[in-house]
Amino acid sequence: MIRLPLASASLLAIAISLAGCGEDKAPATQAAAPAPAPSAAPATPAATSKVDEAAAKAVVNHYADIALAVFSDAASTGKELHAAIDAFLAEPTDATLKAAREAWVTARAPYMQSEVFRFGNPVVDDWEGQLNAWPLDEGLIDYVAKDYQHALGNPGATANIIANTEIQVGEDKVDVAQITPETLASLNELGGSEANVATGYHAIEFLLWGQDLNGTNPGAGERPASDFIVGEGATGEHNERRREYLKAAADLLVSDLDEMVAQWQPGKPDNYRASLEKDSAENGMRKMFFGMGSLSLGELAGERMKVSLEANSTEDEQDCFSDNTHNAHFYDAKGIRNIYLGEYKKVDGSTLTGPSLSSLVEKVDPATDKTLKDDLANTEAKLQVMVDTAEKGEKYDQMIAAENAEGNQIVRDAIAALVKQTGAIEQAAGKLGISDLNPDTADHEF
Amino acid sequence: MMRSPFTIALAGLALSACSQTDPQQTTSAALTEGVLVPGYSSWVETNRQLASSGAAFCADQQDLATARQAFLGAQSAWAGLQPMLVGPMGEGNLSWQVQFWPDKKNLVARQVTALLNKTPQVTPAILDKSSVVVQGLTAYEYVLYDTSIDLNDPAQKARYCPLLTAIGDHQQALSTHVLEQWQAEDGISAQLKTFPNERYAEPTEAIAELLRTQVTAIDGLKKKLGTPMGRQSKGTPQPYQAEAWRSNASMSNVSATLAGAEKIWHGANNDGIQALLGDDNKALKDKIDAAYAETRAQLATLQRPLSEMLKDEQGRKSLNDFYETLNILHRLHEGELARTLGIQLGFNANDGD
Repeated sequence: MIRLPLASASLLAIAISLAGCGEDKAPATQAAAPAPAPSAAPATPAATSKVDEAAAKAVVNHYADIALAVFSDAASTGKELHAAIDAFLAEPTDATLKAAREAWVTARAPYMQSEVFRFGNPVVDDWEGQLNAWPLDEGLIDYVAKDYQHALGNPGATANIIANTEIQVGEDKVDVAQITPETLASLNELGGSEANVATGYHAIEFLLWGQDLNGTNPGAGERPASDFIVGEGATGEHNERRREYLKAAADLLVSDLDEMVAQWQPGKPDNYRASLEKDSAENGMRKMFFGMGSLSLGELAGERMKVSLEANSTEDEQDCFSDNTHNAHFYDAKGIRNIYLGEYKKVDGSTLTGPSLSSLVEKVDPATDKTLKDDLANTEAKLQVMVDTAEKGEKYDQMIAAENAEGNQIVRDAIAALVKQTGAIEQAAGKLGISDLNPDTADHEF
Repeated sequence: MMRSPFTIALAGLALSACSQTDPQQTTSAALTEGVLVPGYSSWVETNRQLASSGAAFCADQQDLATARQAFLGAQSAWAGLQPMLVGPMGEGNLSWQVQFWPDKKNLVARQVTALLNKTPQVTPAILDKSSVVVQGLTAYEYVLYDTSIDLNDPAQKARYCPLLTAIGDHQQALSTHVLEQWQAEDGISAQLKTFPNERYAEPTEAIAELLRTQVTAIDGLKKKLGTPMGRQSKGTPQPYQAEAWRSNASMSNVSATLAGAEKIWHGANNDGIQALLGDDNKALKDKIDAAYAETRAQLATLQRPLSEMLKDEQGRKSLNDFYETLNILHRLHEGELARTLGIQLGFNANDGD
């Protein structure tokens, strides 16, 4: 997520660099995040010695196994999306468009469960912008409606790559005659604006759905399949280039996902997993907890839910073109729960299980373990309400409408559950002797 | 055994020592009386002026320049209050109702337009139920300053005036209510003075929260400057991502926030946080004093509006120099000062296990 890593990146750097230096890791990390109310103090660092190093190592290794499984699923469903896009481009019809959209929704489920790896693991955080940056000024990519609003001062906000072989960005001209994965990747954050997102799930989503012009009323984007037809019946203009764009974006997504799978393969001395396994188990567990807490609080409860709710802003909705936001939130939270329980239900239906943080905490303090497990289950239940409501026809962008008190409450309940579980995550970390967690709040107070 | 008068005297001494307020309680109480309550009171006053200015302007009894002055007063008071957002104002999402920043995608334009198209006669009751984006200073500034709106045109003035007056009323009501919460029996003001209470088990917790709020505000200044300076966007300045860019008040807001932070440090009568540093910590006290003086001095040299400074090399260099002094000030507070006071500023400082 390009949106806030500024704060989180530095925080992370501090947390991680300090993690290496034993005693001296107290106050310097502390102030980086404004402290929200919901929390629990690991006041006295519980004895790390209570946790058997070998047992802790096994938990961290299993964490890497889950990462491998999640990213592998993201890659395989990404390839299915790619195949569905190929089929759609071969014969652009309502049916093939529908199939491509469904493949996109399917691919999002494992990807969202990978987000918990983002905070805490720089290899993921540095990589993910190209896949999931958001919110974007879609006028960079293609035609938009007249009332399109974009980041003020973004020189690329209306560049329309599809309609132009050369785009003017501020004082510079950029050659975009050839639409390749490399060209698109180079256009991200064009002109310094983080709203310039040319690649990833949301760029593909925009091409498959188009702008959602319904605001907080029912309905998602309604781009016609004919935007991709060449010749008779074509709509939207510049369709050859739109087709090239969609193909290039899908190619890049697949190669990016494969690259991340490789980082988590076991037995590869030079990949990220190897460095994680070499590091102390305490640092590994700190990354696990940090990722859970940061995604839970600052990112999911804050940036993705609170901002959109309080501002009644569909512009700040995660999967805004497709109206798939309920699933995005659900699987984000599911990812957090996966890490604590050491479980992941794969796309093929089987469940990966193994040594978990939960089992370590349970040994030290069963009550703390139970609280966190209950909180995680409660969050999932609250988000299930959101999913059920959406599937009955009231999507997330309707729930956040100003006058929709009941819908607002569904979102508020989910936020409250996430805030509460973040406190329990801190508690659990404290029981394992892991303090100085400072999950990223993204400057939100709750 | 008979107690000698001497032992009794000793016991008495010990007792009176116990009943004396501890230094942290003294500081917390002094800041409450000398800085916080006066800060909130003057903020309420600027909002009263904002509401009456909006009404007068819309009744054609006040010109635009005067209405803008009233807006700038309320905006500046709010900026000055940033290091003091303990209690009700720091909770929930109340502060977004006063100001919505960062507004990355110009939501204010979209939402003001949508609101007025839907309900041309906005009332305070409708505004209460609307998006936070349209409830506060951000929307007020947009109406008074945005180049797309010409308030000299009677038709446009008629279109936007219901919103202006509704925002004025909303802000006045909100700030008045917050001040009432401060001054209520068992309100936050009382809770910062006598311990234990529902909010704080002991004075240390109150001091921790005051320091945390102050540090968060100073850190917030780095973000408010760093974002338009392009520190997070490959060095490309982003002038429209600045706070208060429409009213060209970005730098005076920074100045007001810094002044507020310094008040927490000094207190009204040298009885602020600084009073908690004893003689053995004089070096640190001097360093922080110097850091405030340096940021003030640097800021005084920045006379041009932020958007202009961002345009040229010299301006960007001056801003960078200022940013560095802010950074030093921030680090001193979050690091050495917090450590010396034994305060954990982090996620958990507030809570008992």
